[in-house]
Amino acid sequence: MKIKFLSIFLLVFGGVTLFGQVAKPSKGTYALTNASIQTVTKGLVQGTLVIQDGKITALGASAAVPSGAQVIDCKGLTLYPGLIDGGTQLGLVEIEAVDVTNDDDEVGELTPQVEALTAVNPNATAIPVTRVNGVTTALVAPTGGRFPGTASLINLVGYTPNQMYAGFRGMVMNFPTLGRSGFFGPQRSEDELKKEQEKALTRLNEIWEGAKLYAKIDSAASKNAEIKVVYNPEMAALAPVIRGQMLLMIEVNRAEDIEGAIKWVESKKIKRVVFTGVAEGWRVADKLAKAKISVITGPIVALPTRSSDRYDKAYANAGLMHKAGVNLAIRTYDSENVRNLPFSAGFAAAYGLGKEQALKAITIIPAEIFGVADKLGSLEVGKNATLFASTGDALDTRNQIKYLFIDGWQVPLDSRHIQLYNEFLKRSPGLDK
Amino acid sequence: MKGLSLTLTALLSVWCLSTGLAQSSEEALKPITRTYALKNVTIVTKPGQTILNGTVVVKDGLILNAGQNVSIPADAKIIPADSMFVYAGFIDALSNAGIPKPEVRPATGGTGGGGQRPTGVNPGTPPNDLAGIQPELRARDLIKPADKSIEDLRKLGFTNAQVSPIGKMLPGSSALISLGGTAADNMILKDNFAMISQLVGAQGVYPNTIMAVMSKFRELYKQAEQAKAHEKMYAANPAGMVRPEVDRSLQAFYPVLDKQRPICFVAPDLKSVYRVLAMQQELNFPLILGGLLQAWTLADQLKAKNIPIILSLDLPKMEKKEPAKKDSTAAKDPEMERLEKRRADEMKLYETQAAVFAGKGINFGFSTLNAKTADIREALRRMVKAGLKEDQALAALTTTPAAMFGVAQSLGTVEKGKIANLVVSKKSYFDEKSQIRYVFVDGNLYEFEAEAPAAKPGTAGAGKGAAPSDLSKFIGKWSYSIDAGDQVYKGVISLIDEGGKLGGSWTGSDGQSKPLSNPSLKGSELTFSSSVNMGQDIPLDFNITFDGAKFSGKVKAGDFGVFPVEGSKEPRD
Amino acid sequence: MKQFTIITCCLLLVLGLNAQITKGSLLIKNGTVLTVTKGTLEGSDVLIENGKITKIGKGLTAPAGTKTIDATGKYIMPGIIDAHSHIALDAINEGTNPVTAEVAVGDVIDPMDISVYRALAGGTTASHAMHGSANAIGGQCQTIKHRYGTLNPNDYPMEGAPRTIKFALGENPTRVHGIGRGIMPRTRMGVEFVIRKSFTEARNYDAAWKKYNAEKATKPTALPPKYDRRLEALADVLNGNILIHCHSYRADEILMLLNVCKDFGVKKVCFQHVNEGFKVAPELAAFGASASVFADWWAYKFEVYYSTAYNAAILTKNGVVTSINSDSGDYIRHLYHEAAKTQYYGGLTDDEALALITINPAKQLGVENRIGSLEVGKEGDVAIFEGHPLSVYGIPVFAIVDGIVRFDRANDPDDMRLDVDPIKATTNFQMATGRHDHDRCMQGVQELMEELFQLKN
Repeated sequence: MKIKFLSIFLLVFGGVTLFGQVAKPSKGTYALTNASIQTVTKGLVQGTLVIQDGKITALGASAAVPSGAQVIDCKGLTLYPGLIDGGTQLGLVEIEAVDVTNDDDEVGELTPQVEALTAVNPNATAIPVTRVNGVTTALVAPTGGRFPGTASLINLVGYTPNQMYAGFRGMVMNFPTLGRSGFFGPQRSEDELKKEQEKALTRLNEIWEGAKLYAKIDSAASKNAEIKVVYNPEMAALAPVIRGQMLLMIEVNRAEDIEGAIKWVESKKIKRVVFTGVAEGWRVADKLAKAKISVITGPIVALPTRSSDRYDKAYANAGLMHKAGVNLAIRTYDSENVRNLPFSAGFAAAYGLGKEQALKAITIIPAEIFGVADKLGSLEVGKNATLFASTGDALDTRNQIKYLFIDGWQVPLDSRHIQLYNEFLKRSPGLDK
Repeated sequence: MKGLSLTLTALLSVWCLSTGLAQSSEEALKPITRTYALKNVTIVTKPGQTILNGTVVVKDGLILNAGQNVSIPADAKIIPADSMFVYAGFIDALSNAGIPKPEVRPATGGTGGGGQRPTGVNPGTPPNDLAGIQPELRARDLIKPADKSIEDLRKLGFTNAQVSPIGKMLPGSSALISLGGTAADNMILKDNFAMISQLVGAQGVYPNTIMAVMSKFRELYKQAEQAKAHEKMYAANPAGMVRPEVDRSLQAFYPVLDKQRPICFVAPDLKSVYRVLAMQQELNFPLILGGLLQAWTLADQLKAKNIPIILSLDLPKMEKKEPAKKDSTAAKDPEMERLEKRRADEMKLYETQAAVFAGKGINFGFSTLNAKTADIREALRRMVKAGLKEDQALAALTTTPAAMFGVAQSLGTVEKGKIANLVVSKKSYFDEKSQIRYVFVDGNLYEFEAEAPAAKPGTAGAGKGAAPSDLSKFIGKWSYSIDAGDQVYKGVISLIDEGGKLGGSWTGSDGQSKPLSNPSLKGSELTFSSSVNMGQDIPLDFNITFDGAKFSGKVKAGDFGVFPVEGSKEPRD
Repeated sequence: MKQFTIITCCLLLVLGLNAQITKGSLLIKNGTVLTVTKGTLEGSDVLIENGKITKIGKGLTAPAGTKTIDATGKYIMPGIIDAHSHIALDAINEGTNPVTAEVAVGDVIDPMDISVYRALAGGTTASHAMHGSANAIGGQCQTIKHRYGTLNPNDYPMEGAPRTIKFALGENPTRVHGIGRGIMPRTRMGVEFVIRKSFTEARNYDAAWKKYNAEKATKPTALPPKYDRRLEALADVLNGNILIHCHSYRADEILMLLNVCKDFGVKKVCFQHVNEGFKVAPELAAFGASASVFADWWAYKFEVYYSTAYNAAILTKNGVVTSINSDSGDYIRHLYHEAAKTQYYGGLTDDEALALITINPAKQLGVENRIGSLEVGKEGDVAIFEGHPLSVYGIPVFAIVDGIVRFDRANDPDDMRLDVDPIKATTNFQMATGRHDHDRCMQGVQELMEELFQLKN
């Protein structure tokens, strides 16, 4: 038993981590040979994958090993593109219950001008914890209010937010939802809740029309120096969304609210939009498909939203939406356990989405939604070398990750969780000192 | 602490007296006779027994005679009741009629304590009144004869009720009373009938959860056994023995331990019934189950155990909804239909409970506890519609509770020699269109106007779109009371003219005076917001409508819910 | 249609006030039998008769009329056991006092909680319904079997299971009582004292009763001590009649309780959550204490910041009887997946990983002779999976309790509620998105709610 265990241990951590030395990412030319290559977009390919200058430069049976390349024998291993989580608070939240370590929720209903990227802590303990599970890229989104700020896509390696930035920003909006009635005493009537929701929708429209007017004046001002634009940072932040230059990401979960959001988007003629959350998407999947609005859904491993719903509805939601023709990506909507993204996809796969589509939902589809499919989301020549090698199916807990590359940097498979394991598996001193 | 509650009781009684006196501003005529005759009536003497074209004579508080060919004494006042129905007065087997809701202690303090609690109280060891442990209180000492709830019940045909103090787990002992009279003592037919108990936790202090309530109940029960044994031993031979500790709450258990007094446990839902039965099985106290709403699956077992049953008249009720704008072309939602069917099936089970019990030959009474006055007759009709026979319903309102309370010789039927507690209605009581015209309590006549056809909205009072209000009728101090379910919050709203607009301040239960924010008056409807500190700030939104020197309406307390509020103008000082 | 069956079924089940546990017979044919304790048997059958496993082997036959499940291509494992949950309860925390040993969640079982059905749908057939962690010494817990379908709360307790009690160390009791109310304990020092004081009082109380019982026959003036349910329960803890299950996170507080237990002669203790258990694994093993952990929860509060997902693996490798628990109405539905994470983090074998959610929690609850593995003579609590339970693609398809099928993925209707609101047809939309869902202006109330009703982890 011990020997077997030790060998697994060596397999996982050997090669990169040297005892007594801090492991750091390194960059160079690599040839990953004898590998099964899960390209996602072009099927499963056998052969070599070459990494040079941070990019995938060759791939397949005929790919040659460049001279001077570091050769890594990947026999028995499968290469996957780095997994992309379409919605997290990773790096914004260090310890949930310690308020001062939470930077995801700014004060105010209308703060579109604040940026998640500003507050991402590149040294958050959760970042290495996440990436060693193959999650290389995550959308970091602010929360709370109507317009809580812009979300940013980051790669999970780097010492500054700018080094981590992965080329996408999106505007987060929380669609007015039906409130909840009280926990104590008599509940608020549905009518009252509906009135509140309508009020919130009216307010949203007011903001939207304001942003439109601002964008119009701002455009005019760029052509005519006579026209002065007042300092209104909120409206200025919304202007790119109005102009269709920035993706609007609408968080909406309840079936009735999703229908309302579809109508709202259509009435405002918003072109670049994605719905996030969408917990009850299965209830209105046809309508979502008809509206051709892409979806980033999750959490997947969650409870049904209503006590009368079938027990597995949260697991099955993605599959049901996909079957109706909805283009969808998967997110964890977590901060410290974003590492569970592959397993979330695994659950969605088992409950109707299928393995192939589930893998796409955490690779190429989010890359497309975020407009970074030229760099991320699949293993193709010319794309960023953001990938990992697994002992098998990357969505299954039965397999292990062996090598990890982000933007061509080979990243050590190390994290605090692993360090604590190394230190305490056989504690020294043990019981006696 | 014990001294304090004594003083409190004394204060309350004095207060009751004074309110009684204050009421007699317009003096009623002195009675001319106490003899009444109802001629040519259908007498439902008891469930299943009817006398047609009969006469009922009431004299000096008793039924002098009831039947056909009954002679009418010369001093009788003939009541115009031709072809009406006469029933024995109904007995509300469990009620809070006439009992004022306890007021909240004013001070607040502490944070995160689970609701308000007085400063300086350790939530783990609260005094008994805060813990809801006051089995020594008696309904008799709390009854306010002039309380509107008594009149409300009487209007429905109830002439007697077992009334319980209002509180938490052990609010006190009940009394069977007459629902008419001016002095509490004289209304009592059976004092200390049952020890009332319920699985209701205290707010923010121990015992807060049902599990703590259940533990505390068992502990008190066993401690009472110990205390009683100790007292007995001490009485027999005090020499060398530590003197027994005197605790009135434990002493209140003694008659229960002697099986001289039952515990009437309020257990509306099925789980509560199971929990109460578990404790009963453990401790073996005499039990009456009160206010059952959801116990149809347990009918057989309750029958086997021969436990007296009081079913609740507080049936769940659908909110009246505006008829939905149905788009006839819209496709039917199969999920919605399925859910609606399950809901309707469930509602049916609640409505059928009484029929299920009656069908198994189980006798039961009815309780109006928590039921809205306006819904009570409808609840009875719904039960009848769901299969309860009218005779069975009548038995539950008359003979069964009379037997349960041990007063079958004097109450429950329209028979010679019984107390003249009668209900006289146009048409059968259970007929939807029937109207109660007279109620006799202890031979005293209460007459009710034939109900006028429902007034059309907008014809009375200052409706919407009325001319701008004259502020003068609103300005001044108004006392209010917010009914938050188990507690009542009181204070004062002061309204002033702020440059042609209504403004002012109000005092919350935290004792702080705060300005009204966004007051808005439309006709006689006033809305404003404020907040109250109960450990944390709770936003309040008032919506009240004035009607002369009174107002009523609602207040929304953040996410805690919406509560009724009413108030009246205070005399100018 | 099935709905009516459920209702009729309930009517049949509630014929007694006391528990009348219905037991069934069932033949499960031709599956891969994961016994957990006796290896894996391919193409084998499991026969349950009158609620007990009577045979395991190939080609078994059952008396005519016995219900049969064809498990060809499927995996048959012992029903999953959750050593820490709060489902099926109407109250969780009596958070008004730092010590509430006298209250018992067994009094407030809610047989109509839909969470029980959902747990079954995750293969979980028994759980340890626990008091919350607001108090240093909380209330008594209850091991329950998931006999969903009955309306009788008395049908839920696992008859004869040992009594257990919840203790809690660290942030929760110090936050609720110390920070919230200015009452000891405000610190981990205070937590220790509160426990020691309670134990001492219980010891004195117990001694006073013993003295009274000894002299009452001969001394007429002898008086019994005033009956005190709190001290009664604590005396039962000291006498070994109630097992301690202690909510804990940090290594220091774990050691503290071990020392207290040593001083008061308490032999059995199971540490719950115990995120830093890996740091004191040798001490836990030496004491004989067990650990019930999360697979990968961490960083949601400060005392779990220095955690590792390798906790279960380290504890197991150091000889500590370890289980993986849910503490959640969600996670109780996929404990098999949580157990599988110990293969991802630490490479446990299949049997080691499965033991974490079967025989090990059974040991911690003192019911290992009755459930937790597939063995002849044990109770017929079984989960059947399509796909291996330790694969992320494994799907529970049947859950069986006492030989009765309580979850049938293929045939159960969507709406399995027993608790139907007679007024509202549509059920409330509820989504647990954790902190992100908090309504800022109601934060105080949210916390208050958590404190009094839901404070668990």
